[in-house]
Amino acid sequence: MTDPAGLPLDADDQVILDRLAAVHAMLDPPPADLDARVSFAIALDDLDAEVARQHEELAAGVGARSSERTHTITFDADSRAVMITIVGRPDSLVRIDGWLAPAAALRVELRLPEPAVSRTETADPAGRFSFDGVPHGLAQLLVHPPEGGVRVVTPAFTV
Amino acid sequence: MAVVTLGSERAGTGQARGDRADRVAACLERARTGETAALSEIVPELNPLLWHVARAEGLTAEEAADVVQTSWLELLRRLHDIRSPRAVTAWLVTATRREAWRVRELSRRQVPDGTAQLDAAADPGPAPGEQLLGEERDQVLWRHFQQLPERCRTLLRIVAQVARPDYAAVAEALGMPIGSIGPTRGRCLAKLRAMLLADPGWSA
Repeated sequence: MTDPAGLPLDADDQVILDRLAAVHAMLDPPPADLDARVSFAIALDDLDAEVARQHEELAAGVGARSSERTHTITFDADSRAVMITIVGRPDSLVRIDGWLAPAAALRVELRLPEPAVSRTETADPAGRFSFDGVPHGLAQLLVHPPEGGVRVVTPAFTV
Repeated sequence: MAVVTLGSERAGTGQARGDRADRVAACLERARTGETAALSEIVPELNPLLWHVARAEGLTAEEAADVVQTSWLELLRRLHDIRSPRAVTAWLVTATRREAWRVRELSRRQVPDGTAQLDAAADPGPAPGEQLLGEERDQVLWRHFQQLPERCRTLLRIVAQVARPDYAAVAEALGMPIGSIGPTRGRCLAKLRAMLLADPGWSA
């Protein structure tokens, strides 16, 4: 018996490969939320978008006030970078402060998992924008271009 | 990227994997005709494969998760270029591998310390967690698997995740077209198989 590659692959081989897959699934499973994260990230209504890479994540710093934990994430796309700082609030919501580089007064959309609805802010001419009162969980940013440009979409990240 | 046309599906062993490949093809077809939510149905089907591709390239768990997600997002843009529904698996494997290389190079450049660099380059594979495996047979398998050369471990780890009808396309995506992945896979698998069959803990 040969598989489509024209290779001999008998029942013993198949058992070994199947157990190998099972053992790897037990010893090195993907993160439990990976499927949910990906499914959320790709549920976009418009397929054409430039994908920004999560470039670095600066470890959470505890400010002078212990209630204010922050961390910073940079997303790089070819056309633009988006940097955000996630600031924890005492009420367990967060504020997201961000800026675009190069700076431009573009519409920035914050996608949240259903049933929450997307929020949109317009960055100021210096490229700064802010979303306050954001619940913990998955989020994704979309930067809408001036006419004719392509959207920038970030991966889903956890706030 | 080249469109890969695959031969007809084979019944028998790997039937479940074959069904999976059909579902992937059907979901992609729906996504291409505008029903983008259909893609999320195949995410759980393909994520384990992509995860192991990224981990086999030496990424940390966090980096691997990012790379898998990026590959899916990139797929959205290319959806209309991928003419064969079956080619989606190969496309994702290729994208995941390229992205993994990029991330690995970046993180190496950011580590100036030579020792840390060596650590970062080490195969992150599963921890030597034999005791985590309940079945004695799995423990035996794992022990022998660890004896294989790294190239064999990488290859078999990924190949084990591949649906049989996707095999040729994934082999090509891995840069090991049939001519070379076959004998390599064959040798790796033959080596492992010989060790296992000689071990009463497996054969029993």
